[in-house]
Order: sequence, then structure tokens, then C-alpha cells
Amino acid sequence: MPVAEAILKVDHLSHSFGGFRAVDDCSFEIAAGSISALIGPNGAGKSTVVGIIGGAMRTQRGSIHFDGRDISRMSAFKVARLGLLRTYQVSREFAGLTVMENLLVPPPNQRGENLLNALFRPSVGRAQDRELADRAFEVLETFGLLALRDEYAGNLSGGEKRLLELARAVMAEPKFMLLDEPMAGINPALIARLDGHIRRLRDDHGITFLLVEHNLDVVERICDRVVVMAFGRTLAEGQMSELRQNPDVVRAYLGGGLDERAAG
Amino acid sequence: MDLILPYLATLVVFFFVYNILTWGLNIQFGYAGVLDFTFITFVACGAYFAGVFALGPGSQQNGFEWILGLNLPFPVALVAGALAAGVLGILIGLIAINRLRSDYMAIVTLATGTVLYGLVSNFTPLFDGFDGLAGLSPPFAQALGLNSNQFTYLWVVVCGVVMVICWFIAQRILNSPLGRTMRAIREDQDAAETFGKDTVRVRLTAMAMGALLAGAGGALLMGFIGAFSPAGWTSGETFVVWAALIVGGRGNNWGAIVGSFVVAVLINEATRYIPPVSVDPTLVPTLRNMLIGASLILVLWVRPQGIIPETRRRFLQLPLRPGTPPIRGAERARG
Repeated sequence: MPVAEAILKVDHLSHSFGGFRAVDDCSFEIAAGSISALIGPNGAGKSTVVGIIGGAMRTQRGSIHFDGRDISRMSAFKVARLGLLRTYQVSREFAGLTVMENLLVPPPNQRGENLLNALFRPSVGRAQDRELADRAFEVLETFGLLALRDEYAGNLSGGEKRLLELARAVMAEPKFMLLDEPMAGINPALIARLDGHIRRLRDDHGITFLLVEHNLDVVERICDRVVVMAFGRTLAEGQMSELRQNPDVVRAYLGGGLDERAAG
Repeated sequence: MDLILPYLATLVVFFFVYNILTWGLNIQFGYAGVLDFTFITFVACGAYFAGVFALGPGSQQNGFEWILGLNLPFPVALVAGALAAGVLGILIGLIAINRLRSDYMAIVTLATGTVLYGLVSNFTPLFDGFDGLAGLSPPFAQALGLNSNQFTYLWVVVCGVVMVICWFIAQRILNSPLGRTMRAIREDQDAAETFGKDTVRVRLTAMAMGALLAGAGGALLMGFIGAFSPAGWTSGETFVVWAALIVGGRGNNWGAIVGSFVVAVLINEATRYIPPVSVDPTLVPTLRNMLIGASLILVLWVRPQGIIPETRRRFLQLPLRPGTPPIRGAERARG
């Protein structure tokens, strides 16, 4: 289903692992400035789609366009440089770096990363670091992590790590954030804070979100639009409240789908 | 006195050289997490290239043969040796880093080093095979009219100067955003990639800079000993540098100094002056290796981060803008 001002277009994507088709002719579009969700039962192919979009897996068939550019065969770091940022199902903090340093790694175009600047003009990197640290302090403050800034990221609790991931992602100034199960293993109080942050980032920074999420209440609460995947393809699209009434979606979630696939 | 001083000076030369080597490995492994199991190959590359730049041409009649033989002054040879090692670092890095990770990468470095060892040992036109390079007269000694003891003292100074330069290279990389990105890649390569970091390029940079330091160290050894052969760079030598870095503390160049002193100087080099035991001449070398292994196990057991671990970079004291006072963070943040 085409959407107005699509920032991400997935076109007829197929992906096989050996003989198994994890993704089978999957297509959908995500509108710029939206908070969308990609849902579906286990094994629907969501994670594979996320992996392909992020560049971690090579596209086998079909194409992906981001912000008007074909990213189907781009490596992960080049996709990231276009402003598409993904997170992982498990927290991937830089454990041996402090919380503050975790926030200083993501910003793009750091002049101090140039070897010659690092060796001969250290002041260049330091000056930019000062600006970045300034921004990082604000971000840490809004995420309530300021007190932990000198702590090693590996020592944070599971929930704090989730917040850190989001804070770190903000420092990268992305256009689009692809969150792979951001609410997994998080207590309800923190879920409320996380979805507040997500809405704020969309409203204040104009970041588009695509969440892969199993918690359908969260999806219903914050997502404008939902794409349902089953058996590697798009099953339905729309608002969560409508989709709850959709018999195909209910069947895919509650089982019985295998018979249908065998028959089809 | 006449005996002790030159002996100590020799140990200081080895201490300085091993400091350089341990920092080199620290850049590769301690910063960027590159498992380089053929570090000694870069030392050898530096030694050989410094040798063939400083030596005259090898002549086949006398049974010596090697490439180049340019008869250039030693400082030029030293730079050439370091650069050659840096280039080799990129080449081996391209094979090992480009598509492989952790243990696979380590195996490929080890394999590449073994292939090069076999090649250099057996292909005599390159660096005279197993006999190796020999006959380099002590640099500067003739011009300054030094005897061999005085040359040793001079070499302490030469190594000291090169060491200071290498310290600046290692520290500046560590304290720059480049160093931070290297450490982030060490912690989680995929996550760094999702922030747009070209992890292959950054790790190749670490590989090249580490190899550059290794090459400089190798060139200093070549100048000091005047000869270099495959017997001097068996894969066990790589292990000595690794042990020094792990014992001292990876990620910390001060730790690397401590490690290089304890492992490389006290255990590995100083014990070479213990006279061989007549019943079993291999006793001392065997005990030496056991001692290195034991020190490694001990450290990994009681203090796995090393004697001086990586420093935690606190931002409490950092002024945010030029001219603004430091942050009084502790009270505000924790209170």
C-alpha cells in the first residue's frame, strides 16, 4: 500500500536461508515522520527484513529505497551514514566505555577520527569533542542518565542500557530509527518512559520510527500505522485497532496458519 | 663496573625497544581489538628493511645475498624499516580484517606470518635465507670514534629518542576521537558499524600504526645487533610481546611499560645472562618460557585487566566550552 512521502520503500523483497524462504516477496512503505510498527508472529521474517534494511545482510531479491536512494546493496556503515539507524534485539552498548563516551562515538563527521588530525592536530578533535560533550550532557539529562555518565556502560542495568541505546542513537542525528524489539525485557514503568521518548523524538526532531515489537499494547498506543508480516510477506497494513478485527491477522497470530499455507 | 654498566645499558636498550613493541601491539589489540598473532613478523620486516637500506649490496661470491643494499645512513634505514612494516600491516590486515572476525582473523594472521617465515627463510635472494643479514657496522660508531661499550650507551640514547616519538604516536591516537572509535569497535564492531563507522578502515589504521611501531623497534634491534636472521623471529617471540601487554594492562600505555619491564626485560632478556647449567643446557630457556607463561596465568587469574588497567575517562573535570569553568557534576548529578 503506497503512502504519501514514503521515506522507506521495501519492494518485492525475498530472502532464503538455504532452502528456507524467510522473506517471500515482501513489500511495504513507511511514511516520513510517522511512528510505524512491523509486527507478526515468530518466524514471520521481521528480523530478516530488519537485517537486510540495515545492511547487515545482503539483499538477494527485490530492492530497498531509503530517502530516495537505493540502499539494497550498501554496506551497513554506508546505510548508517545516510541517516538510517538500527538497534538490536539485545542491548549493544560499548561495555568498556563510559556512558559519556558511548554518546561521543555516534556523531558523524568527527574530524578527530582522521589519523593525521589525531597525530598532529589534537586540538581539532578536542574542540569538536567539547561541543559534542555539551550536547551529550543535554541528551543524558533528558534521558535521566546524567548521574551515570562516568559509569562503564557494561555496569548499567538492563533498562538503563535500553535508555542509553536510545540516547546514543539521538547523538547520531538520524532521520530514521529502526528499533528491533525496543521494549523486550523492560518493566512497565520504563516502557511508559521509553514510548514518551520515542514520541518526543518524532515531534521535536522529526525522526521517523519503525518498531519491530511484540507488545501490541505499546504498538496500539504509539504507532500511527502498522505493517503485519506472516510467512515472509506483508499480510495487512493499517491502524492497530482495525487490525485487531482483521480475521487474517488474528489467524496468523493464533495459529492455524500452517494449514492455510499448505493449502495455498 | 666495566662489566656491569654495559650489561645494564644493554638491558635498557631491550627495555626501550620492548616498550615500543608493546605499545605497537597495544594500538592493534588494546585499542582496536585486532588479534594480531604474528606481531613479530612486523618487527622482522622493520629489521630486514632497515638492514638492506643500511647495508651495502650483498655479493654472491661470498655467499651473502640480499635485495637492495643501498648503503644509506641509519636514520633513513630506520624510517624505511618502519614504513615497510606499516605497509605489511595493511597487506596482512587486508587479508585478515576485511571479512573475518576475532578467532578467524587471529588464525589468518598466524597463518600469513608462518607463510612469510617460510618464504624469507628459504628464498635466499630476499634476505639471505636462514643465515639472515649480517655485517652491519654499528651506526654512528665510526664517525664518532666510539668503542663497543660507548656504542651501547649511544644506542640507549637513540632508542630513547625513538621511544619518545613512539610514545607520542601511541598516546595521541589513544586520546583522540580516533582512539575512542577504535575502542568502540573493540567493544562491539556491529554497533560501531550501525553508527556509520568504517570499521575495516579504522582497524586497518590500527594495524598499520601498530606495525609501524613494530618496524621501528625491529630497525633499532638491527642497528644494535648488526645482524638479523629467522632465528630471531620465531612465533614464540610474538607471545613475549602479548604476555607483556596482557600482564601490564591492555589499553594503557603505562601498563605496557610495566609489562615490558616485567616480562620482556626481567624474565625474557635478563635471564639470558644466567650461565647455562652443565647438566642440561636447555634448563634456563625452558624455565624462562615457563615463567612467562606463569606470569600470564597469574595476571589473568588475579587481575585480568592487567597491572595498570585501562583508565576510565571521566568527564567531570572537562570544561564544556573554552573559557567555561569545569562542571561541578558530582553534586548536581548525584544529589
